[in-house]
Amino acid sequence: MPKTILCHCEDVEIGELYSALAQGYGDIETLKRYTGIGTGKCQGKCCFLQTLRILAALKSGAAGSGGTEPESVAAGRSPLKSGAAGWRAQRSEAAGSRPPQLAGDVGAIRVPTLRPPVLPLRIDDIVDGEWS
Amino acid sequence: MIQRAEVVVIGGGVNGLACAYNLAKSGMTDIVVLEKGYLGTGATGRCGAGIRQQWGMEENILLARESVKIFEQLSDELGFNTFFRQGGYLILISDEKEYELIKSTIPKQNKLDVPTRMMTRQEIVSFVPGINVDGLLGGAYCPTDGTAYPYAVLWGYGEAARKRGVDIKLNRTVTEVSQLDRGGYRIVTNEDTYEAPIMINVAGARTKDIAAQLGINIPTEPHLHEIAVTEAVKAFLEPMIISLKKGFYFSQSLRGEIVGGIGDDHQEPTYSNASSADFLFKYASALRETIPALGKIRIIRQWAGLYDMSPDARPIIGTVDGYDGYYHACGFSGHGFMLSPIIARLLCERITTGETSIPIDNLSLSRFSGGTLVKDPYVVG
Repeated sequence: MPKTILCHCEDVEIGELYSALAQGYGDIETLKRYTGIGTGKCQGKCCFLQTLRILAALKSGAAGSGGTEPESVAAGRSPLKSGAAGWRAQRSEAAGSRPPQLAGDVGAIRVPTLRPPVLPLRIDDIVDGEWS
Repeated sequence: MIQRAEVVVIGGGVNGLACAYNLAKSGMTDIVVLEKGYLGTGATGRCGAGIRQQWGMEENILLARESVKIFEQLSDELGFNTFFRQGGYLILISDEKEYELIKSTIPKQNKLDVPTRMMTRQEIVSFVPGINVDGLLGGAYCPTDGTAYPYAVLWGYGEAARKRGVDIKLNRTVTEVSQLDRGGYRIVTNEDTYEAPIMINVAGARTKDIAAQLGINIPTEPHLHEIAVTEAVKAFLEPMIISLKKGFYFSQSLRGEIVGGIGDDHQEPTYSNASSADFLFKYASALRETIPALGKIRIIRQWAGLYDMSPDARPIIGTVDGYDGYYHACGFSGHGFMLSPIIARLLCERITTGETSIPIDNLSLSRFSGGTLVKDPYVVG
């Protein structure tokens, strides 16, 4: 049988997902940690939607409930509007006195947003503000 | 319908599953574990994965040493690869006071068979490629400290517990807990109700909320701590590197990612798991300052989790007077993962025999009722 790659970044084949499911690792957050899907450079942009579709189909169309929602998506990636300082101020202003929220906002994002492939930021970019 | 069990464990984190496993292994039956989400939703799945024996207090050194002994054979015991790796912990020393503290503590650790030694700046340079030692006075290195994959430890305990008949229930939020007149406890969740003579409260930062329903006051506070992970790079970093002074640590995972965090002294207690841009800047700056070449690699994700902080940053373990059959383990203050194998074993001994092979009386809740609290100077974050 030909191989079907589900997660290109971490080289996870679709059979590994089914194997994990068969072993009882059934929700998206656990599958991510068990198989490695969505933990590479693209952080799920390429594989999460497909995985969620498979899970939803297995749950008889129960998409969006019972473990088919990711808790968060990664943030802090280029392209961004301006330099780091500007982005930081913009976020801080929006969040009031609390530090701005980037991820972990459970339920806020139900399906990963599909965008053209973008790269996460270099540490140099974060520190020096050369975000572009 | 009320379901009866012998033991109900509240919390499907590493401490809960390790407790359930140890109890089942000792021959107990009818054990139920209640987890509010998926296994490791709370602090276990969000922790920094470090396991160290370099502590200031004898009590912590001893517990950590025994925990490491369990970790060393845990993959074999559970039949599950925990990815435990003993790359050591290197503590970077940046001022005289810290130097004196560490120098005077190492003999105490050595006496308890923890093989820590001082490292000179020159030794650090040859041990850690690319490290910037400006401003460092030296370091302390213990080669038998290390890391493990928290989820693998958790799943390993979970699968081994299931094989021994433990019933692990996911997506169960405990909504109500009460003591029964005839003895034992009733535990109500969003889905079902249980009654059991033994209840083990190991719900991380929520342990205090559950205890409060029984009238037990646990003086812990939830503190948010953040972690970031980089893209994977070729293996170059053997030890976990930490700075006690900065509350800063990082290590390289077996997949090659650099994983670490930095503390924030000004946090108010919160149950939020939100990530912040402030952390990202602070951590990225500290990481690049320590190993400048890391400036070229990308941070791919950050997340946050809760420390269940106790007033003296030491765990709260054991029983509570007037509550027969009630046990808890909480207040780990950021060290719950590394201590879990030994804590679960001791709690199991306490439940099944009434005694423990290592004394845990000093860690009881009653220590907060009076007397002086002693804090370990090696606490980070």
